[in-house]
Amino acid sequence: MDEKNSESRQRLQQKLLSRRNLIRRAAGTAAGAGLLLGSVVPMSARTDDEGEGDGSMCKAVPRPIPHITTPPGQHFFFPGPVDASAATSPNAGHDPSIITDFKGVVANADMVFSGTGTDLNTGASAKYDFHADMRFMRGVFVGLDNEQHSGTIGFI
Amino acid sequence: MWGSSFPTGSGRVDIGGGSAELLVQNICLFDVFIVPNSFDPNHALGIFGAVINSMKIEWSGVTRSVVGFSDATNKFRGDFFECSATIAVSATTPKDTGHGFHFESDPATTHTNFAQFGSEHNGVFF
Repeated sequence: MDEKNSESRQRLQQKLLSRRNLIRRAAGTAAGAGLLLGSVVPMSARTDDEGEGDGSMCKAVPRPIPHITTPPGQHFFFPGPVDASAATSPNAGHDPSIITDFKGVVANADMVFSGTGTDLNTGASAKYDFHADMRFMRGVFVGLDNEQHSGTIGFI
Repeated sequence: MWGSSFPTGSGRVDIGGGSAELLVQNICLFDVFIVPNSFDPNHALGIFGAVINSMKIEWSGVTRSVVGFSDATNKFRGDFFECSATIAVSATTPKDTGHGFHFESDPATTHTNFAQFGSEHNGVFF
């Protein structure tokens, strides 16, 4: 078995863990490694500017909400009721949007689900569990350029 | 902040109908394997291009309504509806990255820890 296949197989044995799940584990004990497929590299949210044509080379960049959840030190609240207590739940609930200066519709979901993961190098398959925090915001926002834009922002 | 542009019309919320839906296809993103690797500025485990082949999330079955809510501290207000959600997702990290992997979810296994949809105004629109 070559090193690459061994590494792939090892990864295949690991579970898909969401950003939130692993963050919480890491806050307590040293978490086992997981396998994550998601846009978890910090990047600016950019939109499609629904009212301004889809061919724009430079998409509008919205502003993040002011709140910072630590860890991981990023601008969002974990999913929870909007009327959560600030005293007992400072980082969960409240504003479900990750962008500010926004008006529109929003949906978020904290879900646990299973599926089949397949190593495309070996063909080996196994059951994987996934814990995900998925969201979208669709509407109008004021971007970093101080202009008003419309679009859909996804949070994966 | 983590976010990405979704195509026009990919997300829909039907307040009156008590449901919402997100449907996207061929969304490019990164496979960073584990969360700590995403926070590591050096990304010691690497970063590999991946794609969500398709993903459909459905919100329905309202269990609690929070209408006319306003939070002056966090500067947001709106109508929010807690509910359940299901997800069907297919994602691939191509073989040519050296980490070929494909995941196909089973929507029937979805367990909702928390889900909601609604309409809101925040920031300067608060």
